[in-house]
Amino acid sequence: MNTRIALTLALMIPATLAFADDRSSAQTALLAASCANCHGTDGKLAGAIPAIASRPATALESQLLDFKHDEQTRATVMPRIAKGYSDEELKALAQYFSNIDAASKQR
Amino acid sequence: MTNKSIKNQGLTSSRRDLLKLMGAASALPLLGACSSLGGSKELSARVVVVGGGFGGATAAKYLKRSAPQLDVTLIEPNKVFYTCPFSNLVLAGMRSMDSISHNYDELRALGVRVIHTTAQDVDPVSRTVSLGDGGSVRYEKLLLSPGIDIRWNAIEGYDQAAAEHAPHAWKAGDQTRLLRRQIEAMDDGGVFVLTAPANPFRCPPGPYERASLVAHYLSQHKPRSKVLILDAKDNFSKQGLFMQGWNEVHGDRIEWVGLSGDGKVTRVDAQKREVETEFGTIHKASVLNVVPPQKAGFIADRAGVTNESGWVPVDPMTFESTQVNDIYVVGDATLAAPMPKSGFAANAQGKVAAAAIIASLEGQRPLEPSWANTCYSLINPEYGISVAAVYKIQEGLISETSGGVSATDASATVRKLEAEYAVGWYNAISQDTWGTRR
Repeated sequence: MNTRIALTLALMIPATLAFADDRSSAQTALLAASCANCHGTDGKLAGAIPAIASRPATALESQLLDFKHDEQTRATVMPRIAKGYSDEELKALAQYFSNIDAASKQR
Repeated sequence: MTNKSIKNQGLTSSRRDLLKLMGAASALPLLGACSSLGGSKELSARVVVVGGGFGGATAAKYLKRSAPQLDVTLIEPNKVFYTCPFSNLVLAGMRSMDSISHNYDELRALGVRVIHTTAQDVDPVSRTVSLGDGGSVRYEKLLLSPGIDIRWNAIEGYDQAAAEHAPHAWKAGDQTRLLRRQIEAMDDGGVFVLTAPANPFRCPPGPYERASLVAHYLSQHKPRSKVLILDAKDNFSKQGLFMQGWNEVHGDRIEWVGLSGDGKVTRVDAQKREVETEFGTIHKASVLNVVPPQKAGFIADRAGVTNESGWVPVDPMTFESTQVNDIYVVGDATLAAPMPKSGFAANAQGKVAAAAIIASLEGQRPLEPSWANTCYSLINPEYGISVAAVYKIQEGLISETSGGVSATDASATVRKLEAEYAVGWYNAISQDTWGTRR
């Protein structure tokens, strides 16, 4: 086997994996983009509606599940919204927002 | 697609993967820290966005932050954009016009090229948009967020000249100012008449929130005045909650007449501020607000993306036109039911279309889309109600996977909380769309 081809093949396997990761993170970013309408871009805007960026993933996930299962009192729209997502999607959203640096200045 | 282009695409793709791998070590710490919708660093192409409202401004922003090398041009005639959401608060004297205004400074800072002129025509063959300033721009992908145009004369007598006497105020700006002045100048004891159209139209709960907030203003400043809604349909958005709220807060100040009660207006005499209904009843108004039938903004017609309904059919996966390749359309102009024609929905569609444009430019299949919508309406400044939903693709169509309206038995505390969240929502979507912070 030609060394160049072998090298390319060796590189291609992890490259494909890296691409799959990118695609899955882009998919989560698209899912999460809906949250920005009320929580600001990247979930960073704090106001009457709280910021969600940088909060611990476990706390976000359990809160989302509580909304989904109507275990949050004083809730308004979130129980209606959380029911539209699978538990896996809610977990991915919680992890996504926990990884965002709330202090970063990105627009 | 030719064999050659498939081959080229393959080469580009493996080259990109290699580049990606080489850059992976430095890129890794950034993963999760930036919300890229999939654009790789080297992706460059010319994307033109027409319309700087909720749909277009959002799409331009998310295109640029996902793929910074993209050449993104936004065409928008107005240097200052006034939102329809919260314009009802301006009519009621609760907010200033300035507080619902947004500019394009933040989008420019992101690297979006903003041109303040009208888009006059689209040639999908040469992929060119001709501009009102005499120039033109070429595109590889075009995104239209045309909003709505009024169907002048769909109601007899309601044309552009009539709108100077009987404003629609269904596009925020001078029409909002005009209607506000008329409401302020109205005599105590006068009747505010609002005519509402049949579906579909921009902002389904909008006419009823407007009636609520005008009634709130009248209760404080012109207590003998009333609001009459003449409606071309028998059912409307959040109807049960609105009627409950009117009952609790506004008593008999608001009267609603639906289609089967002869509420459909067929003729307007704007000078006399008089309307005639289907069965010949004449109503005289002190202030006449006609919310007329609508259609997609005219540039959609020029681009050939509208169908016989006057609205734009789109592929639900991507919001690309089903009629013209490489033209994506978002917002009120589209046929995207069960999603409503709302600013929130336009913003959500703008993000899905931005991701689809990036995927297509990279030769990838589109990501799985999802959208949300929440519409708050105010019965008065301390009484909010909402409708919310999540949408996904099921069997090729946009479907609501969850959603609903505020509880009918909610406490006054919850109604007040929803009124506060309405303001929180407005601030958040303004920041997410134009970067405006207040």
